Amino acid sequence: MEIKLNDPFATEMLKAQTALMQVIDPELYVNIVDLGLVYGVDFTDASKAKVTMTLSTPGCPMGDAIIGGVENAMGAAFPDRKIEVDIVWEPQWNYHMITDGGKAQMGLE
Amino acid sequence: MADISIGKAPHPIAVLPFYGTGALCFAALAILLFLAADELTGHHFSPHLMAIVHTAALGWGTMVIFGAAYQLLPVICERDLYSVPLAVASYFMLTFGALLLVWSFWIFEVGTVMITGGASVVIAALLYTINTCVTAARNQRTTPQQAFIVSSALWLLITVTIGLLLAINLRYTFIPRNHLDLLKLHAHAGLAGWFLQLITGVSTKLVPMFLLGKSKREWLLYAALVLQNVGLVLFLIDGYFNPITAKMLIYGGIVALGTFAWLLYLADAYRNRLRRKVELLMRHAAISFTCLIVGFALIPVAYYFSDARWVSIYGTFLFLGWITAIILGKTFKTLPFIVWSSHYRHLNGKVKVPLPKQLYSERLTVYQFYLYVAAFVSLVAGMVVDYTPVIRMALLLWIMLATVYVVNVAKTIFHKPMITDGDKTQ
Repeated sequence: MEIKLNDPFATEMLKAQTALMQVIDPELYVNIVDLGLVYGVDFTDASKAKVTMTLSTPGCPMGDAIIGGVENAMGAAFPDRKIEVDIVWEPQWNYHMITDGGKAQMGLE
Repeated sequence: MADISIGKAPHPIAVLPFYGTGALCFAALAILLFLAADELTGHHFSPHLMAIVHTAALGWGTMVIFGAAYQLLPVICERDLYSVPLAVASYFMLTFGALLLVWSFWIFEVGTVMITGGASVVIAALLYTINTCVTAARNQRTTPQQAFIVSSALWLLITVTIGLLLAINLRYTFIPRNHLDLLKLHAHAGLAGWFLQLITGVSTKLVPMFLLGKSKREWLLYAALVLQNVGLVLFLIDGYFNPITAKMLIYGGIVALGTFAWLLYLADAYRNRLRRKVELLMRHAAISFTCLIVGFALIPVAYYFSDARWVSIYGTFLFLGWITAIILGKTFKTLPFIVWSSHYRHLNGKVKVPLPKQLYSERLTVYQFYLYVAAFVSLVAGMVVDYTPVIRMALLLWIMLATVYVVNVAKTIFHKPMITDGDKTQ
């Protein structure tokens, strides 16, 4: 999840990132931002926040728990916006998308 | 949202009863083994050994595998489980059937009770097969893992159908073949068809997932699928029409090659893993695969040596080594997730919730690992030297192991929800 400082929604993006870091993938014990599952958040429509993300594998048994987590965390951070979660499979998630912080949490480095 | 299934854990009712009952059957198995300690190295066609083998195969192995399969089918097939009611019905049929079969073998009462038990298990297998095939068919993309799951389900159905026919044949003889030879076909359809192919399919999905590893050699899985099935089909056809001779070892060799291809795939995923440290629970898998390799090596030994104990040792490596080790290891890599999902799925991201690994006792899994190694090694040693006091002592360790396992499974299943809201824990 990349945040550009010149992005007109940089403040919202930072707030969203903080919220999404509360959502843990219960299988890997790491938050979904550090896992690289969140591809972006769109705030252009003032009435909603649309999270574009993926899952580690299609059919992931924790899929609805993670999506529910995103809705809960984003709903609390942006109570005035409707939260939409768009699951995409391209680009396909792989282990190289995990941030250095995520790898450290998983004891990979 | 993309038009693809988002993983939904099935309702816990489709999974938890299998784990709970399987754990209790494991305890019952340890007790039955203890009660029959002096018969373990005798001929396998004895009432108590038949009861023990069916407790291991149906009450323990198949029971837990049904639960795990209902939980993992959505992961493997990338579609939700077709039917929870069918899964629940299969639980009742399997439990009822296994109880009747084990009881009727133990007291060796051939007839209505044994046949009813066998028929009940056939219905359970049929319900499981329908659920598996329909779930798999919903995904238009076929993976080797899916193919293994479907083929193993079909082999289960074949195995239990042969078993039912054998139970009927014991009471009303109608099959013009030696019953003991048919028993070998029944047993190996179950071992090389149901257990081997199911474990091959599930492990090639789960082991890379847990190790964060991958293998690009998918062709090994297709080779495994073909070799395991060709070897088994040849064995069953030849074994039905001809007496069991040394020629059958060739078919065993073909299945062994298929097993080797599968293990090569896992070894490749292991080499290419991100997670360098291998957890204790994953070491159970290593023991399991070693026991399977030893099991294959014991086939010619059991064939050429007339001493009945080698057949028992062969069975011990497969049921108490290969199958039991993989179940002990994977239980706490799968069961906590379904419990976690039912309690905390809706709270994720809202309040601080425990992790799935906090739902069971890690300390008990350490005891479980070392108890298992001690129990297995001492049992095999006792059987090799054919010395009942050592076997009995080993079986006491099995009872302790089963107790630890049952306690930990119960702790997970009966977990009370605990959430932290700010500084408050509720």
